[in-house]
Amino acid sequence: MSYTFDFASVFRNMAPLWDGLLVTIQLTIAANVIGLTLGFVLALLVMSRWRAIRLPVTLFIEFFRCTPAIIQIVWFFYCVPMLFNVFLGSVTMGIMALGLNLAAFNAEAYRASIQAVPREQLDAGVALGLTPFQRVLYIILPTAVRNSVPVLLTNGIGTFQQSALVAIVAVQDLMYQGKTLATLTYRPIETFTIVALVYFAVSFPVSQIVGYLERRREVLAS
Amino acid sequence: MSDTAPLIKIEGLHKSYGGVVQVLQGLDIEMTAGDRVVIIGPSGGGKSTLLRVLMGLEQIDRGSITFGGNPYISAKSGKTAIDAKVRRSIGMVFQHYTLFPHLDVIGNLILAPTKVRGEKKADARERAMALLTRFGLAQKANAYPAQLSGGQKQRVAIARALMLDPKLMLFDEVTSALDPELVAEVEQVILQLAHQQMPMVIVTHDMWFARNIASRVIFCAGGVVVEDGPPEQVLGSPKEERTREFIERVFHIKH
Ligand SMILES: Nc1ncnc2c1ncn2[C@@H]1O[C@H](COP(=O)(O)OP(=O)(O)O)[C@@H](O)[C@H]1O
Ligand SMILES: [Mg+2]
Repeated sequence: MSYTFDFASVFRNMAPLWDGLLVTIQLTIAANVIGLTLGFVLALLVMSRWRAIRLPVTLFIEFFRCTPAIIQIVWFFYCVPMLFNVFLGSVTMGIMALGLNLAAFNAEAYRASIQAVPREQLDAGVALGLTPFQRVLYIILPTAVRNSVPVLLTNGIGTFQQSALVAIVAVQDLMYQGKTLATLTYRPIETFTIVALVYFAVSFPVSQIVGYLERRREVLAS
Repeated sequence: MSDTAPLIKIEGLHKSYGGVVQVLQGLDIEMTAGDRVVIIGPSGGGKSTLLRVLMGLEQIDRGSITFGGNPYISAKSGKTAIDAKVRRSIGMVFQHYTLFPHLDVIGNLILAPTKVRGEKKADARERAMALLTRFGLAQKANAYPAQLSGGQKQRVAIARALMLDPKLMLFDEVTSALDPELVAEVEQVILQLAHQQMPMVIVTHDMWFARNIASRVIFCAGGVVVEDGPPEQVLGSPKEERTREFIERVFHIKH
């Protein structure tokens, strides 16, 4: 192999990468706030007994689940300003696109764990005189949230990785800074290796936590 | 309430699932506050369904149920009317464990008293501890359901129902899912309640338990009452051929 690695010139210019990581983390946190809250509302709506509510919400969720995230981001960036005559700044638009995408996936996670609450537990709730609202609040919600935590974390960290896509619409995130640095140093291989390692360093501990939570849940459920 | 006035009066109870499976086909049962009714019968005969109807968990097709002389459940033009206030005076323990897994034992016991009745948390905890102590579960007060044995879970479930001071308790095969060595501890708790004159309806396949707790035994099959009488008679010398056959088969007793 004739290629000689030269990490030194990349290390000398690392500062923008940290700025980029900060933007990426901001995107991730904001998108997760949207994903966790809106996702739960969507899950409740999609289980509504009224078709008129169920149908549009199902469509909304499936649209985000069944189209590539990169198209959603591009679409948000170019179509929303044209259609609605609003432009909210590239970071905000990125957050919206990533947040709605995450909400759609989280809605599915919430729905599955809400429907997994055993019927007998709800019967016991009736036998104890709890009202329907109290049964949602004190029986369904705590169990459903607890059961969906591993999937929510997995989805959330997925958004951290997917946020790299917003670089194509000029959000100055970790990926964007990486591309700039690669051009600057003429060292794309080294630069992207480091960028990948940064993504990995954040994602890996979270996926370990997910694994731990799932093992613990299996023990508790037995 | 006197011991002979009916506590529960079931008249012409019909119940099907989705109009297809006819489960209860004109059931008439009366029980007084002094009664401890044991229901026996073949699997799939509608025993659980009857208890679930009594608990207000099911829609009915026809018939009516009164509780302490007041209307409780009735069917009018396809709709089932259930008096929620009456329902709150009935407690039920199920065959499968129904403790809330995210709450510890105390949390399970005080949920309904604090949320349904607005009892103060401290008061409810105090009553809960007293009940747990009585059932030999005081050291488990802060354990989670996953940390309990099956027998302990069922005793906690009984305590949880008792927290609401029910005037009638329903037990649906509460020991069927237990390992044999755990059955006695649960039955002891129910026997304790019986000694305190708690009216109850019990579905069980345990002959010893049935004999010891019942003031009356009802044999249900095909959605109707086949035989109804004191335990010595129904279990010891049944009048009906179907009862005799069932008892011989299930309890391995030859008459
Ligand atoms: N939720 C349900 N939907 C449809 N059929 C049911 C349901 N629950 C019970 N059944 C049917 O009703 C009949 C009586 O069941 P059940 O009351 O559980 O009997 P038992 O407790 O005496 O074994 C059975 O044939 C059973 O399959
Ligand atoms: Mg049954």
